[in-house]
Amino acid sequence: MSRQFMKGNDAIVVGALQAGCRAYYGYPITPASEIAHAAAMHFPALGGTFIQAESEIAAINMVYGTAGMGIRTMTASSSPGFSLKQEGMSYIAGAELPCVVVNVVRGGPGLGNIAPEQADYFQVTKGGGHGNYRLITFAPNCAQEMCDLTVLAFDLADKYRTPACLMADGFTGQMMEPVEVPLAKEVPYDHTSWAVAGTPETSKNLISSIYLESNDLERHNLKLDAKYKEITANEVRYEEYLCDDAELIIVAFGIVSRIVYSTIDEARAAGKKIGLIRPITLWPYPSGIISQHAERDVQFLSVELSTGQMVEDVRLAVNGRAPVHFYGRCGGNVPSGDELLAEYDRILEGGRS
Amino acid sequence: MAMNLQTLSKNEDLLAGGHRACAGCTGSNILRQIMLTAGPDTVVGGATGCMEVVTTIFPYTAWKTPFIHSAFENCAATISGVETAYRALKASGELPVPREKMNFIAFGGDGGTYDIGLQSLSGAMERGHNMLYVCYDNEAYMNTGIQRSGATPFGAHTSTSPAGTVKQGKEQHRKDLTKIMVAHNIPYVAQTTPFHWRDLQMKVQKALEVDGPAFLNILMPCTVGWGFDPAIGMELCKQAVEANFWPLFEVVDGEYKLTYKPKEDRPLMEPWLKQQVRFKHLFKPGNEGMLVEIQRWVDSEFNKIMKLCGEA
Repeated sequence: MSRQFMKGNDAIVVGALQAGCRAYYGYPITPASEIAHAAAMHFPALGGTFIQAESEIAAINMVYGTAGMGIRTMTASSSPGFSLKQEGMSYIAGAELPCVVVNVVRGGPGLGNIAPEQADYFQVTKGGGHGNYRLITFAPNCAQEMCDLTVLAFDLADKYRTPACLMADGFTGQMMEPVEVPLAKEVPYDHTSWAVAGTPETSKNLISSIYLESNDLERHNLKLDAKYKEITANEVRYEEYLCDDAELIIVAFGIVSRIVYSTIDEARAAGKKIGLIRPITLWPYPSGIISQHAERDVQFLSVELSTGQMVEDVRLAVNGRAPVHFYGRCGGNVPSGDELLAEYDRILEGGRS
Repeated sequence: MAMNLQTLSKNEDLLAGGHRACAGCTGSNILRQIMLTAGPDTVVGGATGCMEVVTTIFPYTAWKTPFIHSAFENCAATISGVETAYRALKASGELPVPREKMNFIAFGGDGGTYDIGLQSLSGAMERGHNMLYVCYDNEAYMNTGIQRSGATPFGAHTSTSPAGTVKQGKEQHRKDLTKIMVAHNIPYVAQTTPFHWRDLQMKVQKALEVDGPAFLNILMPCTVGWGFDPAIGMELCKQAVEANFWPLFEVVDGEYKLTYKPKEDRPLMEPWLKQQVRFKHLFKPGNEGMLVEIQRWVDSEFNKIMKLCGEA
C-alpha cells in the first residue's frame, strides 16, 4: 500500500483502477471533470479504455454496452449530467448489469451552480429514472472513502448484477487529502452465465429489459424486488458516534457529517448529549439503527445541503415515535460548526421543530 | 445593405462591458459584432457554455436584448419555442408590441453544437424555424476545463486527449459541421471569423434576411484552451484563414461560394500550430508524421471546398 495526497475526484479513479475497472466513458461537467481527466490520463496507459462521449446519454449507454460484456466499467458526472443519464440507468437496472456511476453533486435545480449540494438525494436514492429500480448508493465523506467505496461499489454491483452509485458532493470531489491506495485486485466474478462476450459459452445469453407480456414483466419486477430486498437486508452501512446516551442524534452524510463530527465533542464538553448517525449507504438506508434509537426518549436532527430530502427517510424510520427536526443549507453554502451548535441548543431547549 | 466600419460603429453595442470573459477572448467580440448588425429587435438564446456563463451570472446580464438560457443540449429547441410562440402571437394579432421584424438567434459553443446539441439543432433546422444558429467554435469544451470535442483538431492536447508517453493528443480529425448543416437544405450556411469583420457582418445580415433557418460557424481562438498570448487571438483568426484551415465561404440555397480567395502561395500549417501550446508536443522528435498528416488533411479538405465553390 502507498499513501498519496490527492483530490477526492482522483481517488475515485484510483479506486476504479485498483478494482479492475478498465473502461471509462465520460463527458465534461464541473465539478466532476477531474475524474474524466484522470481516467484519460491513466486508463489507456494501463491497457484500458477512455472514451469521451458526445453526450451524457452516449456515455451511460457506452457503459451499458461494456457492462453487457461482463467488463467492469464506469462513468461519472455531476447533477445535470446525472439527470441526462437516467434513461440509460433504468435500462441498465432493468437488464441487470453491473456498473458504477458517480454523481459529484452540485447546486440545482436547472443550471444552478458548480458549488456542492446534496439535493440529488431523491433522484439518486429513489431510482431516478422510470420503473421499479434502485441504485446501491454510497455517500463518501473523504478522499479515502472516494477510493474505498468505489472499490466496494464495483464488488457489490457485480455481486448483485445491479448498477451502484457514489453520491459525492463538490467538496469531497475537489478537496485534497491523503489516501492509502489499496492493492489491486482480481475481479472475483465469473460472468459467463449472463454476459454477451462474443464467446461460444456466452452465445446463448440475452441482455434485454423488454417484456411485452404483462405476466413476464411482473415476474421480472418481482425478481428485481427480491434482489433489492436482499441488498437491503445485507448491505446497509453506517457509522455511529456517541449515540447510546444521546438526547439529540444528528443524521448527516457526506461533507456535512465531517462538520457534525467536529461539533459533537465541543457540545459534549459543554455537557450536551449529542450523537451522530452517518449513513454510508444512502440506499439501502440505515433505517434499522435509527428505528432502534427512536425507541427511547431522543430527538433527531437531519442536517443536509438541501431544503430537506433525507429527512423524509429519517421520519419513515422514526415513524412518529420521536421528534425529527431538519436543518439545511443550499446553493453552495455549508453550515458552520457554530451555526450547528446554536441549532442543537434551540432544539434541546425545545425551541424549534 | 453593406455597412462600413463607420456606420456599424454608430449602432448600439448590445453586449454591455463588465462581463466576465477572459482577457483576449475573441468570443465576446463575436457576440458584439453579431449584435451590432442584428440590432435591438432580437431575442438571444444561449446554450450553457463560456459565452452564457460570462454574460449572464445571476442576477446580472450583459445582454441589452431579451436573453434566454437553456441547458447544454437544447438551445436550438429553446429558440424554436420562442420563435414559434412569436409567430403564433403574431398570427392571432396578440403581440403586445408589434414589430416589423424580429430576429431569433441561438448561440452555442462547439461542445453544445457539434456534440451534445446536434440533435436539437438538426431538428430546428429541419422544421424550418426562422432563426439563426451561431456556433462559436473554440475547438474544445473550454468552460469545463478544456476537454476535446468533435471540433477539436487532430493532434491537439486537451484534458481528455492528453499528450503524454502513450498518446499524442487527439487521434481524430475534426467533424465538418458546416457541411452537415448544408445537408439540411436550409437557405443560408456560412463560416467566418471575428477578424474578418466585413465578411462576418455581411453573413449575419444575409442569415437574418433569409426566410427560414440559417447557420453560422465562427472560429473563436481561445487564449486559455489553445494557449497563446491574449494579444494575438485576431491574428490567429487571420492566419487560420490564410493557411486554408478555416476557409471563408457561404452556401446560399445549396450553392457554395468562396467569400475570401486565399493567395496561391498560402502559408503552411506549421507557423499557425507553433503559436499554440496545445500543439507544442507535435514539434517533438518522433511526431513529424503528425505534422505531415495535419497539412495533408487541411489541403485535402480545402480542395474539396474549392471544388464545391467552383474554384478548382
